[in-house]
Amino acid sequence: MWQPKINAPVLTKRIPTPPYGNMRDRHVVSYDEYIKTGGYVGLRKALSMKPDDVTEEVKKSQLRGRGGAGFPTGLKWTFLPKVEEGKDPGMRYLAINADESEPGTFKDRLLMDFDPHLMLEGIAIACYACRLKKAYIFIRGEYHHQAKVLENALKEAYEHGIFGNKGLLNGASNWSVDCYVHRGAGAYICGEETALLEGLEGKRGWPRIKPPFPALKGLFGKPTIINNVETLAHLPSIIENGWEWFSKQGCNSTIGGPPSWGTKLMGMSGHVNQPGCYEFDLGIPLRTFVEQYCGGMRNGKKFKAAIPGGVSMGILGTDQYDAELDFDIGRKHNVLGLGTACPTVFDEDTDMVAVARNIARFFKHESCGQCTPCREGSGWLYQLLGRIEEGNAKTKDLDLALEIATSMGSMPGTTICGLADGNNWAVRTIMNKFRPEFEARVRPTFVPVRVTVGAGAKG
Amino acid sequence: MAWITKPSGTMKIERRAEPYLTAEMRRDLSERYLPRYERKMGALLPALHMVQHAYGWVPFQAMEEIAAFLEISAAEVYDTASFYEEYWLKPKGRHLVSVCRSIACEFCGQTEITEAVKAALGIDVGETTDDGEFTLIELECLGSCGGAPAILIDEVLHESVTPGQIPELLAKARAESNGHGHGHGHH
Repeated sequence: MWQPKINAPVLTKRIPTPPYGNMRDRHVVSYDEYIKTGGYVGLRKALSMKPDDVTEEVKKSQLRGRGGAGFPTGLKWTFLPKVEEGKDPGMRYLAINADESEPGTFKDRLLMDFDPHLMLEGIAIACYACRLKKAYIFIRGEYHHQAKVLENALKEAYEHGIFGNKGLLNGASNWSVDCYVHRGAGAYICGEETALLEGLEGKRGWPRIKPPFPALKGLFGKPTIINNVETLAHLPSIIENGWEWFSKQGCNSTIGGPPSWGTKLMGMSGHVNQPGCYEFDLGIPLRTFVEQYCGGMRNGKKFKAAIPGGVSMGILGTDQYDAELDFDIGRKHNVLGLGTACPTVFDEDTDMVAVARNIARFFKHESCGQCTPCREGSGWLYQLLGRIEEGNAKTKDLDLALEIATSMGSMPGTTICGLADGNNWAVRTIMNKFRPEFEARVRPTFVPVRVTVGAGAKG
Repeated sequence: MAWITKPSGTMKIERRAEPYLTAEMRRDLSERYLPRYERKMGALLPALHMVQHAYGWVPFQAMEEIAAFLEISAAEVYDTASFYEEYWLKPKGRHLVSVCRSIACEFCGQTEITEAVKAALGIDVGETTDDGEFTLIELECLGSCGGAPAILIDEVLHESVTPGQIPELLAKARAESNGHGHGHGHH
């Protein structure tokens, strides 16, 4: 029986969330309320430390990026060019990835809906630790309400001297930071870190070839760190309580990999009774999440499949209901990874061919068109899956679909960014884990065979 | 998103005497946005948002005006504007009804929602009503999967909608434009 390690929520401390609070009590947390409930204490503590010590603390916490890839945040920070103490490092940027657009994912939104100062505090800490001067919050265009909440919170933060030319926290540090909201305009690909930088520069969101990596040459050619909203929201509590505190939440790897410490925002969607965004220790089994916290499957139906966290991660099959939601999930359960840890759950009545078609349509629509394998492959896959769904495909089309998926996504170096990999993992795992459903929809391929019977036949 | 082609050989740009990029917009861009970015082109997305918000679409003439203002070529503005879906390169209805068709929404009843909107407005996906009031589109994930099915009417998100609610939501949007008469759209 899985037990939570936290006894109080961390990221949702001010956002009432079951089982700790009632969703109906959610409201936008103002600067005053944020301060009264212990806000900006982490920043104050950070400013009393040396910047490198802040980075070291984050490194020790082994905080892994919450945007989907799970890359260690502290390690990413150390890729920046070294700065000698007291010397001006020149212009360096922080880009905050709030372009949450992956189908199934709606977790960063929770923070921007209700507790925007938590992320702003994280931004201030990151900028201090990494010696960054300007921060841009790249928020997806469809988040109209959230952009307004953020603008408002930024105004409050400037008025109270968190940001601005006086230095962080009203001159508590002589390091000053400016922070802005930059609205995207409806392109999933801008969630890819280098495409996001292109969007900030006013260009079309085409991912850049790496190297050079953004930490050396990023926004406007300057050193740039790109962090996810939730990642930044973790910083205040890690600095305030220390890395040992953080390491007591979440779980360790059971297969010898790096740990999955800390809590995680998890947005549950699909065929469950109480969908919504929750906060749990990493490592909570999907079954526990659904049965214990989301009121079970809708209409008493049986579990059939789930996407662990965004459609590009692939699918968990019917026998993988007990999968633990931590960073080991990819290697243990044949999916791409944990992704954003926002599961979409399907019940027994779901047509998996339709699921594959829906996901293929998404990738076809969102492929930026820069690399040929992805641009052409995503369209071809969508056409094939559409034909299979309609019953107009043949058996050999199944192999063709798998071959396209594999050749556009699994072979390294075929495309610049990971969009094609996501497309491949989604389609391939659904087809492999639910193969009989696909086979039932296609007509057999007849191969003409010439056989000569009788006296003319050769042995 | 990246597949828009233009009839270069035969295309003529419609022009009007009054600039789309108003003095107020130029001031806002100069004071609020240009200082934020190391290069002027950084303010391109905000500039396009302004024009899109004011007129409901981004006319070619406006792109040329933005190009001149940011000291970049019109081709660069077009390149960016044609890439991002939120910028309309053709006029649309006064209200935009966007139905989410991504994974959680489709499997929690999106098709019925689209059908209800189609029936209420008498148009197909991608079309605009004859009176120029509504344009209906389907788009990818609105980040509202816990509240599936979701639709966005102009800038307001509606979650866990049922087909029965659609006429009322549309009527509310229509009443708003009658009440304020603000100048989205082109008619």
